[in-house]
Amino acid sequence: MKTSTRYASPGDRIFDFCNIALMLLLIAVTLYPFANMMAVSLNDAMDSSRGGIFLKPRIFTWYNYKYTLREAAIYHSLLISVLRTVIGTIVTVFCSAMVAYTISRPEYVLRKWVALSFVLTMYFNGGLIPTYLLNKELHLINSFWVYIIPGIVGVFNVIIIRSFIEGIPDGIIESAKMDGAGDFGTFMRIVLPLCLPVLATVSLFVAVGQWNSWFDVFLYNSSNINLSTLQYELMKILQSSNGSMTQKTVGDVLSNQTGHVMNQVTPASIRATMTIIASLPIIMVYPFLQKYFVKGMTLGGVKG
Amino acid sequence: MVRKSLLSKLIEQRTLVLMSVPLLLWLFVFRYIPVWGWTIAFQHFRPGTKLFDQEWVGFDNFKFLFQDESFYRVMRNTLAMSSINLVLGFITAITLAILLNELRHLYFKRIVQTISYMPHFISWVVASSIIVNALSTESTGIVNLILLKLGIIQEPILWLAEGKYFWGILGTAEVWKNLGWNTIIYLAAITTIDPAQYEAAEIDGASRLQRILYITLPGLKPVIVILLILNLGNILESGFEPQYLLGNGLTADYSDNLDIFVLKYGIAMGNFSFATAAGVFKTVISFILLFSANHIAKRLGQPRLF
Amino acid sequence: MKATKMRFFLLALVIMLALAGCTKGNNEAKDSSSASANSPSASESSGDPSSSASASSEADKTPVTFSYFNAAVAGKDGNTNETVLGKLLEDQTGVNFKMEHLVGDLNTKLGVMIASGDLPDVMVPDSGIDKMLDAKAFIPLNELLDKYGPNIKKLYGPYWEDMKSPDGNIYIIPFAANNGFVPDMYQPGAFYIQRGVLKEFGYPKITTLDEYFDLIKKYKEKHPQINGGDTIGFDVLTDDWRFFTLTNPAPNLAGLPNEGEVFVDMQSHHAAVTGDKDFMKRWIQKLNEANSQGLLDKESLVAKYDQYIAKLSTGRVLGFFDYGWQIIPAQQNLLQAGDDDRRYMGFPLVFDKGTKDQYMDPPKFVANRGIGITSKAQDPARIIQYFDNMVKEENQKLLFWGEKGKTYEVDDKGRFYQTDEQIKQTQNPDFQQSYGFKYYSYYWPMGAGLFSDGNSYFADRQPEVIEKSYSEGDKTLLNAYGLKVFTDVYSPPDERKWYPVWTANKQQGSPEQIFEQKKTDLQRKAFPKLILAAPAKFDALWNDYVADFNKLDVKAYEDWANGVVQDRLNGKKR
Repeated sequence: MKTSTRYASPGDRIFDFCNIALMLLLIAVTLYPFANMMAVSLNDAMDSSRGGIFLKPRIFTWYNYKYTLREAAIYHSLLISVLRTVIGTIVTVFCSAMVAYTISRPEYVLRKWVALSFVLTMYFNGGLIPTYLLNKELHLINSFWVYIIPGIVGVFNVIIIRSFIEGIPDGIIESAKMDGAGDFGTFMRIVLPLCLPVLATVSLFVAVGQWNSWFDVFLYNSSNINLSTLQYELMKILQSSNGSMTQKTVGDVLSNQTGHVMNQVTPASIRATMTIIASLPIIMVYPFLQKYFVKGMTLGGVKG
Repeated sequence: MVRKSLLSKLIEQRTLVLMSVPLLLWLFVFRYIPVWGWTIAFQHFRPGTKLFDQEWVGFDNFKFLFQDESFYRVMRNTLAMSSINLVLGFITAITLAILLNELRHLYFKRIVQTISYMPHFISWVVASSIIVNALSTESTGIVNLILLKLGIIQEPILWLAEGKYFWGILGTAEVWKNLGWNTIIYLAAITTIDPAQYEAAEIDGASRLQRILYITLPGLKPVIVILLILNLGNILESGFEPQYLLGNGLTADYSDNLDIFVLKYGIAMGNFSFATAAGVFKTVISFILLFSANHIAKRLGQPRLF
Repeated sequence: MKATKMRFFLLALVIMLALAGCTKGNNEAKDSSSASANSPSASESSGDPSSSASASSEADKTPVTFSYFNAAVAGKDGNTNETVLGKLLEDQTGVNFKMEHLVGDLNTKLGVMIASGDLPDVMVPDSGIDKMLDAKAFIPLNELLDKYGPNIKKLYGPYWEDMKSPDGNIYIIPFAANNGFVPDMYQPGAFYIQRGVLKEFGYPKITTLDEYFDLIKKYKEKHPQINGGDTIGFDVLTDDWRFFTLTNPAPNLAGLPNEGEVFVDMQSHHAAVTGDKDFMKRWIQKLNEANSQGLLDKESLVAKYDQYIAKLSTGRVLGFFDYGWQIIPAQQNLLQAGDDDRRYMGFPLVFDKGTKDQYMDPPKFVANRGIGITSKAQDPARIIQYFDNMVKEENQKLLFWGEKGKTYEVDDKGRFYQTDEQIKQTQNPDFQQSYGFKYYSYYWPMGAGLFSDGNSYFADRQPEVIEKSYSEGDKTLLNAYGLKVFTDVYSPPDERKWYPVWTANKQQGSPEQIFEQKKTDLQRKAFPKLILAAPAKFDALWNDYVADFNKLDVKAYEDWANGVVQDRLNGKKR
């Protein structure tokens, strides 16, 4: 990035100062929830329910993590989560970009129809039961591919990628074609590399969606532990911690008068712990993708 | 004549056809076929019963929605909260993207970016409990504490008990949670602006503000317009989690929106028919808004969707 | 024009495809039961299902696994034979259950399960029972029970007629056939008050709401601060679905049990809604008065459950109404804090002296929650045999007390008890899971109450076990009030054959279901406003609320409730 400190005027300096101050404020406000979750997850659960935990634990314990991570199923589910995130992201980003390219070509005769067909689907869905029956018909139930195939094109992604492709000067694409590259060749060799910043953006969106999604596991694969994902397993742990606190089950009586402290976790402490466990890995994706967000990369690359 | 030329064009553009038509087929299978499910909206749907054995009720499920006395209020709240979120979301995200672009230290910029998007990963359950604590009248209520210190208020305010504050609280919460996330796309868009433009502007002696106004913002315009059209179509989707979690009886007149109504009378009651009817209604409104917005964009010579 | 035609054609095509797909889907759901994803091991290991069913005898112990879906409670998924108890039962019967618990929304999961036919072998559908019956997803059990269920018939004998559906068939086996009345270890609903307040005023016997608030007022004036914070007189819990905690005390205060939205006259058996009645007004007005005197914590009207628990845990709240199971974390925190004065005791208050309290649930048999066998089950006979085996008294003792010498002891009089070590062990959630107590704690055919030898079904209701658990502070308090256990403060419940109305099922989108939702919406809005209003304005606001209340379909609801009461009085299942 180019620096121009030499020319900085007093006005510029004031601007920079205010800007940095503002950003520091933003950091404080947006870092707080995570710092707070970290503190709660490292604090004794019962003690946390007294409230007043902010940035540091009052009674330090690893118990919440031990409790959450003791299930062997968690580790296998982590593998599935990684797989669906990686495969799902690659497939979806590639297919979305391909559609985006075709509807960015002004000469394409089906352009308007394809674009319209895709865009409309953003605003309706057939509903839960028809979708389920369809996936059943296609033998996607009880299968890993139910995480991938129903979502191979993200329409929002298509639209975003297209608007970037349309920002590429026509000359670049034309000259590629002039050199004898077909549409597919142009797409692979010219358009995809030029679109790296937007592809990185879209990858992030898709990856986060894949990583966080648990509803499809719940709906389609809930009885197959081998296809369970991290979020779903954490959800299970959360709900059973909830259940034992609120459900009045006969054999599970937590006597309110007895002196035995039995339940060492609470829904709040488990929720904090799972927030940390489930989101830290995916949060780390962004800094990694940021290197593709360098200004001028697209056009500079072509010129150079 | 027309046909032949269409066919020959298709053959000529066979690569483009091959690149898009298989995915178009996928789209029809996965997105259009399940639309038969809309028939559920016209039934008193009972799962496990064959389509032709279902009890057909015409527009009863729609009537239930439109004739409910709270329908008007629910729509008002939905539109109000969506609009506030839309406007605030756009302005704050674009502003942050521009301010980040003006930061000189690359690593500081990356740190701000990463941290500011972190609240997106917190569930609303967690976020709302942080917000409720911050707005409390007890000693944990930092908002009241600061306002008292500054002498703006004389005694703590029970923020969540007043309907008039609700939209503001919700809008602020949404911004806080999604600001960094919403900014990502603009940051990507900024990368497409030719650095030569900035260099030229600097040589011409353009001020920071002028560069923002005449280079950065116009560079972002296509993305802004596209997102605006897309979001206008989604105006009836104001979400339900934050409203549900931050709202209470005292603010219900301002917090209850369409999604909460559907949640209460559709999903929570296992009434698939009503939930589907509400979905159909939303689609109709979305289509009207989408086509209008697209048409206006076309008229104004702006980028459009299709 | 061309475009429109094209669109129409596409639409028609889509619909045709869709209909084809849909009907095919339905057929396949019915026919391809052998390909059921949910019971792979059942079909694999039991060989030819039809032959094993017809040739079944007492001795059939071929290993078999059935799938069991529990929609009523969250829990750890797994196999019953991975637990000590489940292994013992498998040794007896050859049957293992693969347990799955509901994680998300009940109606969503049940809807797709029923629509697609992807059902488990055994299912606890919780409130989704009507949908299961509607779709004929449960098989009738009458013949199977006649053939293979002698012990079930014996245990459920007194309730047999209640278990039948209107068509005369039994589709589900309800949980817990009660035998003898044993009060719950939890305090049911109660007005809790800090023990410090009781001590300060010489352990007075509190029976009325006025006495209760007077004590709170006097104590708060004397001790404006506790633990360094302002003393809070009274807290309410209003968060989300827990809102009933605010409205339930009203009928209780009038000497009525909690039946949900109605109360039922003991003589005429007429059911009427509670929402606009005088006792509701008296209760809300009392809270309004408490607020005007500064006794009520205003913030508790908007607080979340977590905040409420946190507040109770500070020890600054003098009183509140709640149910024992909702305040467990707060009780534990206060216990750990070690100051007995800041802990609580609950009383069943009434408005007027002389009214008999009815906080304690009458003995009830909930016939519309239970476990059923689905139409997908390959071998229902084996399942009923397993059920029948597990309800034998020796197996019930095994499932609820564990193994003698390991998890409990027997004294020379035949009384069961647990050592301190055993109490601690059996209350540990990890142990409950690995031993199998968790899987077998409820959602199966089972008894409750007392065994034939007089021991309690559940360890934590056995007097020998309960008494061990009382602290010094507990004992002082029990002595002061002349009680043996805390639940002794309640009057014994009167018998109400219809009780409780709220467990009756409601059809989706029915007037009664919609009434309940609208009523809750209305009260959630109106009651906090009424409570916070200036006392002079209360009557006018109350009248507005009653006017709004009467705009709801009260009649339809009362008709429905009366139908439930009458049916239950006449021994029909509702």
